[in-house]
Amino acid sequence: MRRLTKLSAVAAVAALALAGCGSSDSGGSDGGNKPAASKDVCKTAKGDGPKIGLAYDVGGRGDQSFNDSAYVGLKKAVEEFDATCVEGEAADGEAESAREDRLRNFAENGATTIIGVGFAYSDSVNKVAPDFPDVHFGVIDGFDPDKDVNKNVAYLGFAEEQGSFLVGVAAAEKSKSGTIGFVGGVHNDLIKKFEAGYTAGAKAAKPDIKVEVAYIQESDLKGFGDPAGGKAAATGEFDKGADVVYHAAGGSGSGVFDAAVDAGDGKWAIGVDSDQYLTATAAQKPHILTSMLKRVDTATYDFVKSVNDDKALTSYQVYDLKADGVGYATSGGFVDDIASDIDGYKAKIISGEIKVPTTP
Amino acid sequence: MNSVRLRRVGMALLAPAIAIVVSVLVTTIVIAAVGSSPGDFWSAMFSDPSPRLRVNIINQTAMIYTAAVAAAIGFRMGLFNIGIEGQYLMASFAAASFAGAAYLGGFLNVAVSIIIAVAVGAAWAGIAGILRTTRGVSEVISTIMLNAIAVTLVGYLVDRHGVHEGNSVHTKTIKSGSMVKGFTPYEPRDGQVWALSILAVLVGVGFWVLLNKTRFGFDLRASGQSQSAALASGVNPKRMIVIAMMLSGGVAGLVWLPALFGDAGSYGTSYQSQLGFLGIAVALLGRNRPLGMLFGAVLFAFLSAQSNTLTFGTDVSPSIVQITQGVAVLAVVVAYEVVRRWRTRLERRVVADEVPAATEATA
Amino acid sequence: MPSEVDAVRLRGIGKRFPGVIANHDVDVTIRSGTVHALIGENGAGKSTLMKILYGVQKPDDGTIEINGNEVVLKSPTDAIDNGVGMVFQHFMLADNLTVLENMVLGAEKLHGIGDNARAEIRRISDRFGFELEPDVLVERLGVAARQRLEIAKVLYRGAKIIILDEPTAVLVPQEVDALFANLRELRSAGNSVLFISHKLDEVLAIADDITVMRRGTTVGTADPKTATKHELAELMVGSELPSPETGESTVTDVVELELHDVTLTDEFGRNLLSDISLAIHRGEILGIAGVEGNGQSELVEAIMGMHIPTSGRITLSGEDVTRWHTRKLREAGIGYIPEDRHRHGLLLDSPLWENRILGHQTEAPNVKGPWINRSGARKDTTRIVEEYDVRAPGIDTLARALSGGNQQKLIVGREMSGDPKLLIASHPTRGVDVGAQAAIWGHIKRARKAGLAVLLISADLDELIGLSDTIQVILRGRFVGTFEPSTVTPQDLGAAMTGGQTV
Repeated sequence: MRRLTKLSAVAAVAALALAGCGSSDSGGSDGGNKPAASKDVCKTAKGDGPKIGLAYDVGGRGDQSFNDSAYVGLKKAVEEFDATCVEGEAADGEAESAREDRLRNFAENGATTIIGVGFAYSDSVNKVAPDFPDVHFGVIDGFDPDKDVNKNVAYLGFAEEQGSFLVGVAAAEKSKSGTIGFVGGVHNDLIKKFEAGYTAGAKAAKPDIKVEVAYIQESDLKGFGDPAGGKAAATGEFDKGADVVYHAAGGSGSGVFDAAVDAGDGKWAIGVDSDQYLTATAAQKPHILTSMLKRVDTATYDFVKSVNDDKALTSYQVYDLKADGVGYATSGGFVDDIASDIDGYKAKIISGEIKVPTTP
Repeated sequence: MNSVRLRRVGMALLAPAIAIVVSVLVTTIVIAAVGSSPGDFWSAMFSDPSPRLRVNIINQTAMIYTAAVAAAIGFRMGLFNIGIEGQYLMASFAAASFAGAAYLGGFLNVAVSIIIAVAVGAAWAGIAGILRTTRGVSEVISTIMLNAIAVTLVGYLVDRHGVHEGNSVHTKTIKSGSMVKGFTPYEPRDGQVWALSILAVLVGVGFWVLLNKTRFGFDLRASGQSQSAALASGVNPKRMIVIAMMLSGGVAGLVWLPALFGDAGSYGTSYQSQLGFLGIAVALLGRNRPLGMLFGAVLFAFLSAQSNTLTFGTDVSPSIVQITQGVAVLAVVVAYEVVRRWRTRLERRVVADEVPAATEATA
Repeated sequence: MPSEVDAVRLRGIGKRFPGVIANHDVDVTIRSGTVHALIGENGAGKSTLMKILYGVQKPDDGTIEINGNEVVLKSPTDAIDNGVGMVFQHFMLADNLTVLENMVLGAEKLHGIGDNARAEIRRISDRFGFELEPDVLVERLGVAARQRLEIAKVLYRGAKIIILDEPTAVLVPQEVDALFANLRELRSAGNSVLFISHKLDEVLAIADDITVMRRGTTVGTADPKTATKHELAELMVGSELPSPETGESTVTDVVELELHDVTLTDEFGRNLLSDISLAIHRGEILGIAGVEGNGQSELVEAIMGMHIPTSGRITLSGEDVTRWHTRKLREAGIGYIPEDRHRHGLLLDSPLWENRILGHQTEAPNVKGPWINRSGARKDTTRIVEEYDVRAPGIDTLARALSGGNQQKLIVGREMSGDPKLLIASHPTRGVDVGAQAAIWGHIKRARKAGLAVLLISADLDELIGLSDTIQVILRGRFVGTFEPSTVTPQDLGAAMTGGQTV
């Protein structure tokens, strides 16, 4: 009997682990979205334009972050160019070959424009692209892992540090305590860019400002889907005296917002990727100062448009302030009073007068 | 006597069979409940896999199977090594770092890297074994903790010492002379069956021989069946725990090596996590038997590979496959226990029929 | 009070397990409002009978009447519904819960889980003098209090007929008196108690009626007012028993096993064994008598290397083996028949031939170097099955499928293989049928004649007296008396075992 109990316990652990692989996933296709599947643009689009394949990163649709943002761009493109589309999303812990297979599937099923959302697609696109010379590939945040140049691949990168610089200015100017905070989801190079820009912006506005930095995970991608971890990290910073906390932690960000709500009036959080004021709960809204916008939708749309216009983008494309690829949100009106300051920095960055660092 | 053995084999197959039927049923019900077509789902799942997917299935089977054997070594002696995940992570990172540093050339580099992977996996698991024997810490808890530590530690090390490229970071790429590619059964674009997948075969055969043919295997099984009987028979339980954990961890160290040397060339974004948990699930599904786990590994690899095809022609999310896998594991645990009781009853009856009751005379 | 309806009437109860008849033609009548003692030796079928009455097992034959109505008890729930409750020897309590929580666990519907339940517990506790505080954690309770809690649990669930399985085995004498006071209270409140024991003094002190069981059936009843211990003992043991008599002494002057002042301390510093010294010669059987739990298991485990003595020295054939590990000792020629064959002697879910290997994993014919010698082990298993008359369809049968007697014969055969120098036999015939018992005795006697040294531990005093060359009595981890089997009576031993007399 005891044996059975112990065995069942392990079976439960195994099942949880399996469910764990899927959980970040189910967030993507979360219950609410599925029945509405028929409303998805890819289910209904029947145009005779180009066929677009969109491969999401772990988390998929419904992450209220860049996967969703990519979908917004896709939808716009499909409607505008009378296109059709297919989607697929990565599962946590899937094999490299599964990503490859996803892209090949798109290509073999007639997609002429294929976008991988997230730098994790860099390797697989690099392998698949040469086999489909007539298909145009784009990788959001991507890079070319080897020296062979792929003529049919565009690497759609963002100057996250520039957008982060602007919200750093906003944070510093709104801070009364002289301390602000940053919460990163995972301590990788991409998120470090956010931290670097944010800190630089804050110091530019107030040289003596103190920036508390915390990361939820060192390398585990769970850091992007862990609201409890986000809340713990942000609460720690509020406790240390920070009154504005900026997060670059994907789905963990909601925990950061909750921490700001709990910290009380006058405590702010700053969103990331999309305008998070719009998707926040009523309780969170009064605490969302602004959001750093990373226009994955713009990049997605642009890339499809370039293919459609027969001027397909290739190689490295940087979506920076100049290209409106990054920016800050004004919803809620909390930064209206300092907008002119922020815009002043923005102009200096665009003109090249200010160079924003990419590493902390 | 042969009928006894025959029936035993039949019984052994019964539990997984029930489990699969149940998981198919549950999956079908779930799909129907969300308003999709189970028929589409199953026909997509059981369509003939494309050459590319066949290659993937073989490669994945090898890795999942190795992880399953690693788990089974612990399970067979009643040790629940939940830490395969962390052990093969540490081992993969160590082997990739060593091989990438190119201290040695060619195949020697590969051979030493394999030894390093085994050693690191064994050491990482050995920590849990030693904690268990000296401090009484349950290996379930300590291995879960060690998993978390491994992720953080490797993340830190690769960030510090790895090669940063674009937004990603990886260990130094292994020189092509030290890669072990494999063979190409179809077109080159369909991929290769990695040569080091042969490690899974060796591990499987080794596991069978160890368990059934050696004294050590007997001690291991005896410990798993009854700690108290094993102790009374002269097994040193502490030594056994540490050895079994290290053996389990050592095998775990091999899990990702086929991919490392066959394709990835470095530890980085193409590292495949979660194989450890899949391995545990497959070990449960295959009842820790070498052949049973092979079947389980093929099934899991097949389901995972085929799930991508669901994107086309069905409106079923590929995630549904995880329900099938999860239910299969839970169902097999329950089914096995049911079958075990049933079998015991049946054997008792056989004994009763063939042996006249000894006390009848005194009644 | 013949006019009253009897609380329980068991008529012609029979229960067979494969290869063993646990109960046959059992008749027991428990009058309402009495304490009824059911006595018998270990293996007499008492446990099976009470499991039948408590619905754990279904009888193959016979009828059960409760308060005059014939009932079929399919499960303990049925039994409880009929007012039958049982307190097992091993308590079934959750240590980390309070008295109240343990009480209501599984019986939440009766009085809820709050103040009503608390009031009911207080009422029961006050009525019968249980002294239970509802909000105390069970882990703080001593053994006697736990037992009272178990009885209270049964009453809480509405039982009027209470089965107590050897309740005094775990208690010290003062606690036994307190328990008996509780039982008298229960009786005066109209409850009936079925009291299972093999301690005759206690039975005579508390029981209103006595039923004696032997070899699976009821062999008689006795009136405690008139019966003597001697009469009861005779009824329990019977007269048709095979004699364990060993005959002529074969004791040599070569010492095989010697213990010098062996002391074993547990983790709390309490002495489990104190200054044990003994010597067993070739051809000698040394019997250890004692009430269970007085250090017998620890003595065996110390000799077998499962516990290293805190102080003292153990020698085997003159060699110091004090710190040797079990395997090395076994290799040196110790055969070991463990007291609990299921926990220590067998792999229940493995076939017989693999069980042949157990405990002899390093010895021929089971292994060749590091490899298991499958054919060797199988062949030798077949030999054991034949020589020791193990009744099994084949050597691929699972050990679990065999009856207790046949399992034991397999173990004896295995431990006698390879000509051991020393045999440690703990309760070698416990729970074994008569035929197997005689066979096992025969094997031990033959081996003794051939020069085997035997340490025999048994609760069966006749077995001890019959087989041993010398008997040592152990009490609280200490040897308290040495007896000559040819002159000692079970009564003398019993007195020494309970500390009544030291020699």
